[in-house]
Amino acid sequence: MLDSPNNTVVTAKARPKPRLVTLAINGETHEVMVRPHVMLLEVIRDHVGLTGTKDGCESGTCGACTVLLEGKPILACITLAVECDGMHVQTIEGLSENGKLSDLQEAFLDQAATQCGFCTPGVIMSAKALLDNNPKPSVPQIKKALEGNLCRCTGYNSIVDAILQYSGQGVEPLMKRDDAP
Amino acid sequence: MILFEFEHENPVLAEDAVARLHEIEAEARFMAGGTDLIPNMRIGIAKPAHVISLTRIPREPMTVGADGWLKIDALTTLSEIEHSALVTEAAPILAASAHTVAGNQIRQRATLGGNLCQETRCLYLNQQHDFQFVEPCYKRGGDCCYPFPRNKKEVCWSVYMSDIAPALMVWDADVTVLGSGGEVRMPVEALFTGDGLRPTTLNPGEMLRYVHMPPVKSHMGWGYHKSTVRGGLEFGIAVMALTLRLEDDLETCAEAKIAIGAVNEGPVKLVDTMSAMIGKKLTKAALAELADMASREINPLPHHGFSKPYLRDNIRVHLRRAMQIALARAQES
Repeated sequence: MLDSPNNTVVTAKARPKPRLVTLAINGETHEVMVRPHVMLLEVIRDHVGLTGTKDGCESGTCGACTVLLEGKPILACITLAVECDGMHVQTIEGLSENGKLSDLQEAFLDQAATQCGFCTPGVIMSAKALLDNNPKPSVPQIKKALEGNLCRCTGYNSIVDAILQYSGQGVEPLMKRDDAP
Repeated sequence: MILFEFEHENPVLAEDAVARLHEIEAEARFMAGGTDLIPNMRIGIAKPAHVISLTRIPREPMTVGADGWLKIDALTTLSEIEHSALVTEAAPILAASAHTVAGNQIRQRATLGGNLCQETRCLYLNQQHDFQFVEPCYKRGGDCCYPFPRNKKEVCWSVYMSDIAPALMVWDADVTVLGSGGEVRMPVEALFTGDGLRPTTLNPGEMLRYVHMPPVKSHMGWGYHKSTVRGGLEFGIAVMALTLRLEDDLETCAEAKIAIGAVNEGPVKLVDTMSAMIGKKLTKAALAELADMASREINPLPHHGFSKPYLRDNIRVHLRRAMQIALARAQES
């Protein structure tokens, strides 16, 4: 099973071999052995153990699994891991530094833009991709950039407000947080 | 995880990809962005034993040729197209239609060619089948149709949902198909069969390589509308695209093209309405009359819970508005 005599032509009967996929996830290199039917999401969550990226609909309709692949927001649940060999991936864990949340994450807390929190990692990664290219996005631009992320509890206004607050567009924090370490 | 295993390779030359697909004996599929194929593989609509990924094939930059035609690599992502200044100027209807497709994350990976080659959809087909339906439907190789139980054998009323196909049709775009015999250029209409079981005319081993958009003519205007429930991240209720060209008096229609998508097994050109439009003075009342005529000419399939009368009404109203926008654009240009 492992070695067919002629492995240039693979038929459906031979089991596909696992292959080595190298990923730079949040700046750290990970090498995983995966078969082609494994998704990037499973590598991030199950092989590497970064469970901040959520597994929602598994069919590309909810956006909970959004990660940045080479700086672009993509859906990890419909991206094959073998297609991402040698690429940079950024997940929600890559935003905080030394256990301190990033300003964008703090803005989401300030605006109460998270409730059950399941969509939040995906929303923040979509927002980050937008803000990397456009530091002061307008409300329609924010809504267009976040159209691929569904949230079923907070409503979207607080999420839009959080991005407006972060980009310094005149939205004050709703909740004053205690900054003591 | 996809519930079956398959072989995967990613060649770096389009010619190699085509050659490999002919070599492989097992069922093989091309995959560009995978945003349509992978969800379909998850729910078992597609079960290829071999996936030939096109993601490593270098994308050629868009160019405007000496004849003024814009040549776009079919592997260009929709995100690149919607943000491209070149497309916005040379073929604005393409940028507008690419902008409406799915959500931002999907547009980052989905390609122009993949959008045109997408599988048709139906409320029953696009569900995890095994635990809900005992028998596979016609499209899945079975012997029944769930949404239309009285359908005859081999008739599938699944809907072709591409948002971009109607826009290309009204712009008179061409496509280049790469097969084992080399490249063949043909009008985009020749891609669509209008058969829900097999929506495109591409044979196995043929790949959509380029899309060619002709230059804008003088006094030409375009309109595009995608009706949706939420306004983002969804397939259309109906997609309307039209172009028109005016005579020098800026009132009389010299040329008109209307295509409706997402309501039939393929995008449909409204031939009767188009010919009725030519030579007419496009007043507000005339446009309303033409939109009425269009809604009678189209024969939408009830899909995803929308009834035929509703779809006709939707097309009548939104096509009229798109016509008014197209007229205003033609008068300005």
